[in-house]
Amino acid sequence: MSKSLVPHVPVSAAEVAPHRPTDWRSDAMERRVRRRYAAERRFRLMGLGAVVVSAGFLAFLLIVMIAQGHLGFVETRVTLPLDLRQARLGLTAERLRGPGADLALAGAGLERAVDAAANRAFATEGGAALLSDGAWLRVRDAVKRDPHLLGRPFTLDLPVASAIDVAAKGNGTPAAERTVAALGAHLSRGIARDFLTGADSTDATRAGIWGALKGSLLTMFVTLALAFPVGVLSAIYLEEYAPRNRATDFLEVSINNLAAVPSIVFGLLGLAVFLGTLHLPRSAPLVGGLTLALMTMPVIVIASRNAIRAVPPSIRDAALAVGASPIQVVSHHVLPLAAPGILTGTIIGMARALGETAPLLMIGMRAFIAAPPDRLTDPATALPVQIFLWSDQVSRGFVEKTSAAILVLLVFLLAMNGVAIFLRNRFETRW
Amino acid sequence: MSNNPPKMTASHVDVYYGANHAIRDVSIDVCQEDVTAFIGPSGCGKSTFLRSLNRMNDTIPGARVSGDIRLDGDDIYAREMDVVQLRARVGMVFQKPNPFPKSIYENVAYGPKIHGLAQSKAELDRIVERSLSRAGLWNEVKDRLSDSGTALSGGQQQRLCIARAIAVDPEVILMDEPCSALDPVATARIEELIHDLRGRYAIVIVTHNMQQAARVSQRTAFFHLGQLIEYGDTSDIFTNPRQERTKDYITGRYG
Ligand SMILES: Nc1ncnc2c1ncn2[C@@H]1O[C@H](COP(=O)(O)OP(=O)(O)O)[C@@H](O)[C@H]1O
Ligand SMILES: [Mg+2]
Repeated sequence: MSKSLVPHVPVSAAEVAPHRPTDWRSDAMERRVRRRYAAERRFRLMGLGAVVVSAGFLAFLLIVMIAQGHLGFVETRVTLPLDLRQARLGLTAERLRGPGADLALAGAGLERAVDAAANRAFATEGGAALLSDGAWLRVRDAVKRDPHLLGRPFTLDLPVASAIDVAAKGNGTPAAERTVAALGAHLSRGIARDFLTGADSTDATRAGIWGALKGSLLTMFVTLALAFPVGVLSAIYLEEYAPRNRATDFLEVSINNLAAVPSIVFGLLGLAVFLGTLHLPRSAPLVGGLTLALMTMPVIVIASRNAIRAVPPSIRDAALAVGASPIQVVSHHVLPLAAPGILTGTIIGMARALGETAPLLMIGMRAFIAAPPDRLTDPATALPVQIFLWSDQVSRGFVEKTSAAILVLLVFLLAMNGVAIFLRNRFETRW
Repeated sequence: MSNNPPKMTASHVDVYYGANHAIRDVSIDVCQEDVTAFIGPSGCGKSTFLRSLNRMNDTIPGARVSGDIRLDGDDIYAREMDVVQLRARVGMVFQKPNPFPKSIYENVAYGPKIHGLAQSKAELDRIVERSLSRAGLWNEVKDRLSDSGTALSGGQQQRLCIARAIAVDPEVILMDEPCSALDPVATARIEELIHDLRGRYAIVIVTHNMQQAARVSQRTAFFHLGQLIEYGDTSDIFTNPRQERTKDYITGRYG
């Protein structure tokens, strides 16, 4: 043994006490090993159990929603023979090709003619009451597409009234069930286009999700346009520029608390500030978006700060050392590396905002709105609010519409999460 | 003593981290034509002093520098000194290789781009090639300039970082233990490289390796507990140290 630079001096009695070599094969040792394996196994099983339970809940939810909701996308139709020559509508094929076609069709009394045809064809089964309120609109559209229909008999599949529709899908009243049985082969099924293109209605067969979907899209647009830049800029400022002192500590605590505030409180705030003080229009996507932006901003700030903080300081040093200015360091190096985290946080915040109902109820987006909004200041509703409103309806036809609307919301959320995953993979850089 | 003109002069420099007095009254001249080595036990303040030469200490909260540091006679802590330009003129290579997670080309081209050093793509290409050649990396990477800089080996990454520093045409290059994360072969390459770069740039290198300091430097400064104990020609320091503490350190009886 070579002479050590540092002489060895015993420091305690324990060091010189006799030392028993470890017996790795003793009974106690083997028991310990067995216990360790058992603990590992138990832990793994518990984890597996937790995963199975949560996946089970999710599957249950999805199955129930799809089982009920898919019927919301389907409508029952009855085949109606029509002959518009008898109705004396005063319409000619020429007038329908001209510019005044819509006006001419609106005033021609088509609705009465369709009702009369139904009364004739299904006198015993209920006549015009079989048809949905909006059935004549299909006739109008057909005639508009093909004006020659005015001059000859034809048949058209028209949507039935809600009670018959529900019965045809196996959930109706005994009377409606009998009607369905009597109609038999006259009934058929098709895609409920009104559901995908229309807005709210008091008649379940005419109620559509497009109005609420568009309301949600406009609201999300406002939320994103406000919360994303403000949130990311705040995060950059707090991480890169703000001095560390009492004020910024306080700000940090406030932001963290804001992220945990119940959403209805933001609704109250929106009501007081945007409607009460600023007198913005009620029920508008603009106000809904502003309110949800308040709620989403802290989430984006927190996620962005974490993402920015996760950028290795060595990258910052490297950029500074070649003479990058602080802004260049942030925009050329920190932000690109933090982008996946920032985008993921943003989309999680947006997804939460998309599903939010309470604050929108507070600012009046629960009104009955029969037309899809065109501008940010038009009265509108949003998907979750629409679901809430429909779930409250007594008419049985709305049960499946509610589930169908939930499906639309889930698809929207899935799409957003898909975008988040795509962006994360797209921008992910390793170092 | 060599009699080259000083490129950087530091006089009576003190650096504090909050209440921690990390550098005490250090005065030193860095010469244009020389490689200057800073040696001393861990925690004695070599990195701290090095970082005060290109004001990287500015980025550390609580760090404070007093005294006078001049580059070509200009006070680098003066109000009218632009830090960004200063850091381009006084480049830095870090202990752990830290290439940007971008392509090899982008790593080298970044500095010239932000400082507008190239008027055209062709000129930028030339700068990149010249920098990589000077860093002794061109032949190894010329066919894969678009690969990520982080995919290179440790030694190649460190030479890439040197190329990146060279690309902005600095006057001084500060290297903080540039070989401590490298194997002996990569270390030898870097030492060769420093040898080749000598004269073109004033080079300051922090090292824990006495042999390395003896091999690459003309001047050596020995730091201890935040103080500059001895500064002189490398040959004198290693063969004939005037201070007892320097002698203890370089003979390994210490630290
Ligand atoms: N970022 C920092 N913040 C606070 N103290 C620091 C920091 N960096 C270094 N120090 C302190 O300054 C002293 C010198 O450190 P350093 O310059 O890293 O020494 P060396 O590079 O010689 O090992 C040490 O006491 C260290 O704890
Ligand atoms: Mg150091």
